[in-house]
Amino acid sequence: MKVPGYLGIKIDFQSALPVYEQVKRAIKLAILTGTLKDGEAVASIRDLAQRLQINPNTIIKIYGQLETEGFLASRPGLGYFVRFEIACGGNDRSPLFEALSEDFVHQAVELGFTREDIQKQIDKIFDRTTGKPRHGQ
Amino acid sequence: MLSIRDLHFSYGKRSVYTGFNLDIPAGQICLLTGINGVGKSTLLRLIAGVLRPKKGTIVYPETMGGEPRRKIGFISDQLSLYESLTVDQTIRFHCDVFGLDRIDDRLIRLTKIEGGRRVKELSTGQRTILHLNMILSLDPELLLIDEVIHSIDAYLRRVFLEELIALIARKRVTVLMANLNFHDIEALIERVILLKSGTIAVDEPIETLKKKVKKIIAPAPPAGLTILSQRPFPDRSEYYVYPYLENSALRDVEVVDLDLTEIVAAFIGGEYAA
Repeated sequence: MKVPGYLGIKIDFQSALPVYEQVKRAIKLAILTGTLKDGEAVASIRDLAQRLQINPNTIIKIYGQLETEGFLASRPGLGYFVRFEIACGGNDRSPLFEALSEDFVHQAVELGFTREDIQKQIDKIFDRTTGKPRHGQ
Repeated sequence: MLSIRDLHFSYGKRSVYTGFNLDIPAGQICLLTGINGVGKSTLLRLIAGVLRPKKGTIVYPETMGGEPRRKIGFISDQLSLYESLTVDQTIRFHCDVFGLDRIDDRLIRLTKIEGGRRVKELSTGQRTILHLNMILSLDPELLLIDEVIHSIDAYLRRVFLEELIALIARKRVTVLMANLNFHDIEALIERVILLKSGTIAVDEPIETLKKKVKKIIAPAPPAGLTILSQRPFPDRSEYYVYPYLENSALRDVEVVDLDLTEIVAAFIGGEYAA
């Protein structure tokens, strides 16, 4: 799977999903998928704001939330750094799984698919991926 | 907090504001919008102190001190530059007025504006950048931006926005901008204020506004929702609604999210249709 780099985030203004939520998800995904490595510095507030042309206060809010959630650590005067181990709970991949699922489900809902549609689709893709059709089908 | 109370202003016999009130907390980035001629520029000029109110008060944030006008950066489409001065002379004059030894002219150099050129020979974009450069040298706490970014080219607009973002990142600056075109500033804005006949018709955080204004594509007007404006089509017409209610029992319709440009057009379109 091609991992999206967070610095190339494209904001979708037509989406009802707030800008901060879109950017936050992209950064989270970059951390969880390893695009941003443990201990690596993330872009400074000013840098990321200028790059994405968004309000620096939005970046402050995002970094603050990611710090609370354990994805980033701030070092005064130096900026924010990735805390991959803690974010991912060592070898526990469930936060990654949750972030990926969140993204997928949200996009599907935005496209207007129902719970049933999504569940069916998951089954279909699961079968195709594992080559094992579900029992009774 | 910038506090406007009971503001009255008129051009001769034409009243623009009769008892207008507005509060803007320090550090907030606001968009001021509304149809042409509604009084956006007038309000900015009143806040900037270029125009005097007939009645009412404008109280500036305490942090701006006893001489608040020194801390106001007003970027207008009618820039107050002396046409016959050269760029260098303009900067020197600016330094004399504000008691500065020199200013950081990085923007002027970056955009290759020659010091020997006369102001009248510069393009609108170059004049805007020159003006912005001087304003930034004063370390403003309140920035009033009047439409200028429409008339400058895409590159200079980006330079302008990057400088604005850097300023917001550096310090707590309050920004009020009057605009009709938003695609590159949408993610900077925290609050949208829509003016209508001298009063505030809409005043919402941008995230709330995006949840509340939707386009509904349907064969008939959606029942129970307030329609701002519509675009008729033979089969299914488009209805812009505000406020949109998540639990609306709408059948056979498509609900479309909108960007800020479309949202403002929906409000303004309603006013033209009225």
